[in-house]
Amino acid sequence: MKISTRGRYGVRLLIDLGEHRDQPHVALASVAERQGISVRYLEQVAVLLRRAGFIRSVKGASGGYALALSPEEINIGDALRSLEGDMLVADPPSPHETETKIRRCVRLMVFDRLNERVARVIDNKTLASVLGTVDPDESYMYFI
Amino acid sequence: MKISTKGRYSLEALLCLALLPGSSYTSTHSIAELTGLPEGYLEQLFIPLKKAGIISSGRGPLGGYHLGKTDGEISVGDILRVAEGPLEPVSCVTSQSCPAQSYCLSRHTWGELYSEITECVDNITLADLVRAYSVIDEPEYVI
Repeated sequence: MKISTRGRYGVRLLIDLGEHRDQPHVALASVAERQGISVRYLEQVAVLLRRAGFIRSVKGASGGYALALSPEEINIGDALRSLEGDMLVADPPSPHETETKIRRCVRLMVFDRLNERVARVIDNKTLASVLGTVDPDESYMYFI
Repeated sequence: MKISTKGRYSLEALLCLALLPGSSYTSTHSIAELTGLPEGYLEQLFIPLKKAGIISSGRGPLGGYHLGKTDGEISVGDILRVAEGPLEPVSCVTSQSCPAQSYCLSRHTWGELYSEITECVDNITLADLVRAYSVIDEPEYVI
């Protein structure tokens, strides 16, 4: 039940771009250096986030990436889903599958609840709240 | 962020055991028939569950498995930790190994996810699943 490197690095890329949003754009090489992630891998992650509309690319010799939305508009749940495919601990039953009563019971009692709680955590976060630029009530937690 | 078949099948097999009378042993063959899960896979899944004391086994012609504790003492979290390994979505949540942990802003999100996950699975016991199972087909059943 792990979040893949894609999801983890994608969130770190968003955070890095958010921290440097005073600049017109940031070269992936400098993100890679700051975050200790390979540029090549970061490029793959950037493609996913760009396609999903969270970041935009700036072409040219001194090109790079910048947030396409304000940090308040970037929902962490949506960003993670664009990186991970979905954020479900178990897939819903496929239409052609007959679900046994035991399987159904486990799904309703465990997986549906877990999915709901995972969604509640990530959907209530924006890049702004992760960066600590909003949500003063929660900001103390970033120092733990 | 999927739970693997190890975790899913272990939960199903243990709910199956919990639904059967605890006085006798049930063979993996019967559990396979009752759940539709592959028998060979069940045998593999039962090795770590037995080691953890979640199930116990008896030998002989009437041998097989039953729960190692009462159903109220076995949580979904116990089963998933044995079947799946540690439940943290990112390992940095519980280890001190990441050099960036003092200033990493994403770690907090992973930590929050981890506490939601553990709080959820540690508060559902096999007894809860047995109770839910008995009412699950009634239309007024609300999760």
